[in-house]
Amino acid sequence: MSASTLIIQAGGAGASDPVVVGAGEEPQPGGATNGIGYFARFGVTEAMIGEALGAALSRGGDYADVFFQHRVSNDLALEDGAVNRAFASVELGVGVRVVKGDQTGYGYSEDLSLAALRTCALTAAAIADGPSRGAPQRFHVAGRLPQRYPLRVRWEDIRPEQKLPILDAVNARVFAADPRVKKVSVHFRDESGAVLLADSQGRIVEDLQPMTLLYVSCLAEQNGLREQGGYNVAGRAGFEFYAPDRVDRVVREAVARTTILFEAAPPPAGEMPVVLAAGSSGILLHEAIGHGMEADFNRKNVSIYADKIGKPIARPFVNIVDDATNENARGAINVDDEGNEAGRTQLVENGVLATYLHDSISARHYGVAPTGNGRRQGYQFAPMPRMRSTYMLPGPHKKDEIIASVKKGIYCQNFTNGQVNIGAGDFTFYVKNGYLIEDGKLTRPIKDVNIIGNGPKALEMVDMVSDDLQIDEGGWTCGKDGQSVPVSQGLPTVRVSSMTVGGRGKG
Amino acid sequence: MAPNDSMLVIAQDAIAFARKKGANEAAAGAYRVRNVEVQWRDGKIEKVSEATTRGLGLELYVEGRYSSVSTSDLRLEAVQRFVEDAVALTRKLAADPHRALPDPSLYEGQAKVDLDLEDPRYGEVDALRRRKIAEDMEAAARSVKGAQAILSVTTGFGDTMAESFRATSNGFVGARRVTDFGMSAQVSVKDPDGRRPEDWDAASARHFAALPSPEEVGRNAAARALSRIGSRKGESALFAMAVENRSAGRLLGFLMGPLAASALQQKRSFLDGKMGQQIASAKLDLADDPLVPRGLGSRLFDSEGIAARHFPVFEKGMLRSYYVDNYYGRKLGMRPTTRGMSNLAWKLGDRGPDALLADMKEGFLVTGFLGGNSNGTTGDFSLGAQGFRVRGGKVAEVIGEMNVSGNHLELWQRLAAVGNDPYPYSASKTPTLVFEGVQFAGV
Repeated sequence: MSASTLIIQAGGAGASDPVVVGAGEEPQPGGATNGIGYFARFGVTEAMIGEALGAALSRGGDYADVFFQHRVSNDLALEDGAVNRAFASVELGVGVRVVKGDQTGYGYSEDLSLAALRTCALTAAAIADGPSRGAPQRFHVAGRLPQRYPLRVRWEDIRPEQKLPILDAVNARVFAADPRVKKVSVHFRDESGAVLLADSQGRIVEDLQPMTLLYVSCLAEQNGLREQGGYNVAGRAGFEFYAPDRVDRVVREAVARTTILFEAAPPPAGEMPVVLAAGSSGILLHEAIGHGMEADFNRKNVSIYADKIGKPIARPFVNIVDDATNENARGAINVDDEGNEAGRTQLVENGVLATYLHDSISARHYGVAPTGNGRRQGYQFAPMPRMRSTYMLPGPHKKDEIIASVKKGIYCQNFTNGQVNIGAGDFTFYVKNGYLIEDGKLTRPIKDVNIIGNGPKALEMVDMVSDDLQIDEGGWTCGKDGQSVPVSQGLPTVRVSSMTVGGRGKG
Repeated sequence: MAPNDSMLVIAQDAIAFARKKGANEAAAGAYRVRNVEVQWRDGKIEKVSEATTRGLGLELYVEGRYSSVSTSDLRLEAVQRFVEDAVALTRKLAADPHRALPDPSLYEGQAKVDLDLEDPRYGEVDALRRRKIAEDMEAAARSVKGAQAILSVTTGFGDTMAESFRATSNGFVGARRVTDFGMSAQVSVKDPDGRRPEDWDAASARHFAALPSPEEVGRNAAARALSRIGSRKGESALFAMAVENRSAGRLLGFLMGPLAASALQQKRSFLDGKMGQQIASAKLDLADDPLVPRGLGSRLFDSEGIAARHFPVFEKGMLRSYYVDNYYGRKLGMRPTTRGMSNLAWKLGDRGPDALLADMKEGFLVTGFLGGNSNGTTGDFSLGAQGFRVRGGKVAEVIGEMNVSGNHLELWQRLAAVGNDPYPYSASKTPTLVFEGVQFAGV
């Protein structure tokens, strides 16, 4: 229940999936703007927001904000050789939040009329019980916002006929790559999102947030056995994201990651050194330290990292950041969902625990500036501290040197999901592909093994860090307290001197 | 339910408009949900949230082509533009001969029973009552022996009234109104070594009166969290494994998921081609049971309108049925059963968890899985686990940071016992399950 999860976003083509269609009012992706631009089309005005904030503070809340959202997503899916289904969804709604100390009141609606806004505001206002406070009637913007997902080609300008050939080509090329391939499914998603945040301090900001994802799943047969694997790429980007080299990689990786499973077996069970490949192994950071550093858990005194700021927790060459600024990354944001500036936050600096990830409530609690980590799944939810793109900076070692240093252990390359218990610190990640390391060399492929460790212990045991940082391009989604948000992660090649590998038999 | 409910009208209008724009067939679902939640932490309210939300979903069949769309923007002109765009998009897709609404004969034969899924006293639970329950759970948690080690208690209470409507162009009209009440308590405690282990207890029910007392939930959560202090890894070896009833649902889900026709048709199921075969020991005996009064998974018809019926899934360990939906049923040439699990009815054992552990003598009791996954194509699984070592038939030292691994085609053959204690707060109603010879990884 307290556990937070991370999964790779699989493009399941089930009929329950929301699907996509042009909805006439698609956002124009392309970053942040000042004041009411996009939402004017829904009749949203500053006067209306002022009135809603007045109602929100009518019982004496300390702070209130209004969050409007419009998100249009379109999915095309290929199965059994044809793009024979599409899914589309439109989400439109508004949430009103009132904060009193650490306490939150929240109301939301799909109806953007003034009457509906007032009802939401009065619902949220009930968290406080005191004399009314004034709300701003004029709103200002906080200066120039960054443009971290500039679009060369906007989704609303792309017709289905332009997307369909990508799915068909990927399908044909995956089949052509290996005769063992028997089933291929391809899922293509584009999303045009817009948010508007205005608050009782008079701030107002809009951001237009695109997203796209291409997921390929591949089923192969060999000697009567079957294996399934896949690959996916995701980013806050437009149609230009699908450059030939990226599509090539999707095809190549989907086939390679599937067919190698026929040679693979689970590794032995027990404690052993674990080498994490550069890239999606950043899942280690997400689970071992990222969630534990979200300040709400620390404010509530339930994180294993509570009271550890300023203390050494890893070797001096370990530096970990959570970064909103990586251009076109799935975890990139121009501004967080509370209107706060979102930059790069150093979690661990030269092995010392530096900063928690804050939203406004926790920042006020700790008397520090917000770090731009206040995020929400959508208008139905109050924000809370969440990761963006979490990765470790390059270190002093070399990949070859790290692998050569291990007498007997495993090398982990690809992952499907992870989870953590925030307080006990135990965390897991599930390894889909990797290799045994024997006498300093990669030998037999491994598959389908869960690895479990304890956050602070595992960080202490990170004893080699390579110089080959990669940010993964996969479609990761982080779940916490019932809210899902897109994230990114990365890692250079890293050695953890010992973790428990959920394999089989004795090594 | 009122045949003129505004949401049903929206659904029917959307179908009519879609047909006018060129859809040959269409189905629409519309919902209205009222949801209220209070979260309480360490002596005061942490968060309250309240809303009534609405939405519309539409499945379109246009000249042998298919799409499915949803929107929360229910302004008439927005819905019309949305439907028109969706029909136009659908025309661009490849034709699929297997796409069609369910045969109307599958709608027939709905059970004539009152599932009693709506608590008539729903409106009586007000803000003060919710708050009192949340507050009482915390007080109970802090009253247990050893409570001085408690760092934080978070409790919550929420209730939902969900109304949904489905209509199709080939004659189905269905409405459903259900209530849900849920409560939970989560407790974090101080381990002298610096860790802050946590555990929880929770309950949910269609009727408020079916919930346990706040005291029971609060005390359980605290006792469970306190029992986690001092956890260590156990040894890596084969052991007997008892899985507590509330955690067994996760393990069972990995066996049930590959029963879906979509997995079979896509060759992604280790249960493909296994109909009538012995998949598990004779102890595994369960049926899909949609017509249980007040059941969390109960329904008169499934999400496609297909009339719900009881059917066996495993009988004495033999596989008796797949979960076949309309589309993949057509693709596979199989008659639909239902799309997705409703409730499960188990053939239970005659003993409770204590007696099962006494029989087991040596092994592990798993009280929670952490992460991990299962390969639905091959049946290989590997899961994080915590719980207790069992020695001499009794719960012994607390363990954590361990893994269990294996293959489902072997694991369920080694199902040695099924408890008499179905977990009441889930649709799968899992009892305690005991397996022999399971691979544990720890030290």
